[in-house]
Amino acid sequence: MMTVLSDRERERYKRQTMLFGEEGQERLKKAHIFVAGAGGLGSPVSIYLAVAGVGTLTVVDKDVVDQSNLNRQILHGQADIGKKKVASAEEKLTALNPDIRVNVIDTTIDESNAARLIGGADGIVDAMDNYPTRYLLNDIALEKKIPLFHGAIRGFYGQATTIHPGKDRVPALRFSLCPAKEVFPVIGATPGVIGTIQANEVIRYLLGTGDLLANRLLIWDGMCSRTEEIAVARNPKCPACGNETSGKDTRKEGA
Amino acid sequence: MTAKIRFFARFRELLGTDIVVNVDGKTSLPDLVKGIAAKNREGYDAIFDEKGAFREFVILMQNGRRIETTDAATVTVADGDEIAVFPPVAGG
Repeated sequence: MMTVLSDRERERYKRQTMLFGEEGQERLKKAHIFVAGAGGLGSPVSIYLAVAGVGTLTVVDKDVVDQSNLNRQILHGQADIGKKKVASAEEKLTALNPDIRVNVIDTTIDESNAARLIGGADGIVDAMDNYPTRYLLNDIALEKKIPLFHGAIRGFYGQATTIHPGKDRVPALRFSLCPAKEVFPVIGATPGVIGTIQANEVIRYLLGTGDLLANRLLIWDGMCSRTEEIAVARNPKCPACGNETSGKDTRKEGA
Repeated sequence: MTAKIRFFARFRELLGTDIVVNVDGKTSLPDLVKGIAAKNREGYDAIFDEKGAFREFVILMQNGRRIETTDAATVTVADGDEIAVFPPVAGG
């Protein structure tokens, strides 16, 4: 992809190049970001990355659009019910910004394909709804030495952090057991907030500007509209990065 | 000597947050949390099971460091500690 901006792109991004110049915009255009999930988090993340002009987005999801998705998965509308989420995502993201490249892959991310799907991407956005896949994305991020932009939500609450292997004290975010996957309650504005925060992290990472959510977990409490942070320290027992363990992480999803 | 407990998400709704507690240098982490959680039945039940053990997906942090619930009983709360207790947030 040509990184020099066309006239239309210059006009499209005029209001943001005021912040970081055409040089910054070209950095965004050169980038390839992998978005794991086209649902509640994946929707706002991919929308904001697309309109910002991240040059290549690869969006992966296995699901079909369902009526109950529509309270939050803003990439998809009533007319998309029954369609593959990635098909809907490709259509909407391309319509928002035809000046970027949108790749979509209709598949489940697992150990057999994750590294290949992610390929040479510059970063991974965690827009998943389960921890086993999050841990897998974390492992790939560590192997490829690229950042993982984590987000998670439930109800009116959410959290986000950026895990940047090699740069940060905490290259992995692990929990002692995977919580069982659940039908979780959620209001759309919650992944809206967290997904937007994730997109903001990606953009600033690519621009090389500001302070990322590194070594800190941002907690959003939508019940009182407060954000706070938990500083995160390395866990010596962490199977991915701790020095008290050896061997692969064998924890699987709880019953 | 005091420590502070912060609860998040559902736990916060039930128990509040930024609770400052007196500690004597001998209080264990589970006892500290139990002392606060005991004031609300639902809050207590959300965090502890019938045997008084932390429920398996509860996340504990002491000054930013993750403490496994299975190790929590061996941890003593010190003056100035900040203990965070939250349920895992997994949705997306």
